[in-house]
Amino acid sequence: CPSGSVGCQVSLGNLFDRAVKLSHYIHSLSSEMFNEFDERYAQGRGFITKAINGCHTSSLTTPEDKEQAQQIHHEDLLNLVLGVLRSWNDPLLHLVSEVQSIKEAPDTILWKAVEIEEQNKRLLEGMEKIVGQVHPGEIENEVYSRWSGLPSLQMADEDSRLFAFYSLLHCLRRDSHKIDNYLKLLKCRLIHDSNC
Amino acid sequence: SESYIQIPNGQPPGKPELLRCRSPEKETFTCWWKPGSDGGLPTNYTLLYSKEGDKSINECPDYRTAGPNSCYFDKKHTSLWAIYNITIKATNKMGSNISEPQYVDVTYIVQPDPPVNLSLEVKKQVDGKPYLLLKWHPPPLADVKSGWLTLEYKLRLKPEEGDEWETIFVGQQTQYKLFSLNPGKKYIAQVHCKPDHGEWSDWSSESYIQIPSDIELKDVIVWIF
Repeated sequence: CPSGSVGCQVSLGNLFDRAVKLSHYIHSLSSEMFNEFDERYAQGRGFITKAINGCHTSSLTTPEDKEQAQQIHHEDLLNLVLGVLRSWNDPLLHLVSEVQSIKEAPDTILWKAVEIEEQNKRLLEGMEKIVGQVHPGEIENEVYSRWSGLPSLQMADEDSRLFAFYSLLHCLRRDSHKIDNYLKLLKCRLIHDSNC
Repeated sequence: SESYIQIPNGQPPGKPELLRCRSPEKETFTCWWKPGSDGGLPTNYTLLYSKEGDKSINECPDYRTAGPNSCYFDKKHTSLWAIYNITIKATNKMGSNISEPQYVDVTYIVQPDPPVNLSLEVKKQVDGKPYLLLKWHPPPLADVKSGWLTLEYKLRLKPEEGDEWETIFVGQQTQYKLFSLNPGKKYIAQVHCKPDHGEWSDWSSESYIQIPSDIELKDVIVWIF
């Protein structure tokens, strides 16, 4: 049995510790990747104005401030985190392959895309374990938001293609921050009785 | 006969500039601007914003709380994970001028206030070894209990007359034991904090302690012949 386990099952506290470490790491990488891309390819192109309201996950209604996040039941918040994570499986897979088509894409952007894709899968597995312990037996429908952005990452026009990448990285940075924030809140609520 | 030309009294205002926005606790935020020239006339400034996911254009909800040339967004007006498009409009009786728009995401403008109540105390371990215990509290506005904000701390210390700080990163703890003390010296200490994804706060106000000159610092060496 691994350390920190109860009757050979990893304790909820331990699972949360690992999940929060992962979500923190994933957001740090996403944030660095966005900044690198922004500095290198987006300067003076006004992409930010066009990126507003453009995330594929915006159909998943998530809390947008502390009060809303505290009012939502922890099971619902956990399912939202799962939904957002699942919604990134597909785009991350394509990001890894398409990012290689960017002219002179630096290695740091390439390996971050690979790393985020892998860690996102690990976090999703961990979250499924957490949900399994918090409400065992209940199998949620696989809620997620479908991404249809692949053609835009493959557009022939460079400016449009770069904007598609910018927009995707902006959304990834935002969603990974949301997930990290919600998980830290849930960890304090469920493990430390809101007294972190 | 003489003819007069009416010279306009004053000019339209110059272009104002949005300087900075900051959120101390991820729950509210404030933006500050720099007025342009007022054209020699009484000039009125308004902050206009639109928020991602909301088509309407709104005016600043509170010009007073954060002082002159500022706008305070309380909890009700603050959303995370949404881009605010913010402009400043200057108006006087000769005309108006508007700043370049700025795109603000509250998630990325978080800089907490400094930690408070930094206390210093010389203590002794059970084995008699002295140490300096440093304790502090998170900034009062920051809600770390619920997990909404996670803070990490850095300490710095120096002898009163020294000019080189020793800096110690302490992670999420709010206390630290320091074992390397110089007896008879007066020390200055400060602490600052950083949210998990944000900027370091300013340093806290200085705390002082006089380390007694009679404390035994080094492990006693016993020579056995």
